Amino acid sequence: MLVTGAGSGIGRSTALLLHQLGARLSVVDRDEAGLAALCADLNATNDNGAVTAHVADLANLDAIPDLVTQCVDANGLLHSVVHCAGIQAIMPLRTLQIESWRKIFAVNTEAGLVLAKAMSNRKVYAGDDGAIVFISSVMAQAGSVGAIAYSMSKAALEGIARSLSLELAPRRIRVNCIAPGFVRTPLFEQTEKLWDDAARKAVENLHPLGFGRPEDVANAVAFLIADTGRWITGSTLVVDGGYLAR
Amino acid sequence: MEDFLIEMAEILEEDSVRESDELNGFESWDSLAALSVIAMADEKFGVNATAQDLKGAETVGDLYALIQAKNAA
Repeated sequence: MLVTGAGSGIGRSTALLLHQLGARLSVVDRDEAGLAALCADLNATNDNGAVTAHVADLANLDAIPDLVTQCVDANGLLHSVVHCAGIQAIMPLRTLQIESWRKIFAVNTEAGLVLAKAMSNRKVYAGDDGAIVFISSVMAQAGSVGAIAYSMSKAALEGIARSLSLELAPRRIRVNCIAPGFVRTPLFEQTEKLWDDAARKAVENLHPLGFGRPEDVANAVAFLIADTGRWITGSTLVVDGGYLAR
Repeated sequence: MEDFLIEMAEILEEDSVRESDELNGFESWDSLAALSVIAMADEKFGVNATAQDLKGAETVGDLYALIQAKNAA
């Protein structure tokens, strides 16, 4: 299995859980220190499966096929890809720059598609019961001030997943998204710093169950990847503490 | 300072702005503009400012001073 964005937040929790469940993992992040910390924790917990770490910036889309080849060389053919890597920047319309939104789109969206293309190749795919999970967001379905680029990137990801699921069903690769609400991650904390207490409380109140934890999303990833998700494809699992229920 | 004024002009939807300009004199000085300043301070200057921090600012120059002060802290 390949997990992107594994250096922190949802990706890190996902890698820890999948490893605990016995997966052979290739973990990817642009943050070398984050990956090193993850690997130290993985090695400390148990020896369930082999882990290889790859430092890469997924904004460099052309380098992704080689990255996937390296993962296969190091850890065998791929059964699953979980694309957790994501970036966000608060950019209201009046300051939105083409270059900035393309960077967000490249990492959040296009990298997921390139990964799926590489993973589904017969020389890379392990051959049966494969799964691809993209981490989307409630922002794919609900708007938020300053989140235009992020919303665009995640809504596109869900569109990609639906068509991909149809193309890859004959290869027995399921493709799904998970749409988390606000989860306490470094990315979230980066946004949270921009709020005052009232703004923070207002956002928390949008979640009837409060803010989420990375493990809440990791559990959903494991469910979709394992046999428990065998009849689920082309869908988005909302894991949001009730954010979208309103 | 020059880069900051260019950024502020974009946020305030003006051709140019001066340090002494009163923020309340701009039609576009609203909560979205404040959010844009916070995002700009983070992205361009590596400074974490909050909406609360911005409340004391009366002029464009006050915002610059705020960012500089936080940058030095």
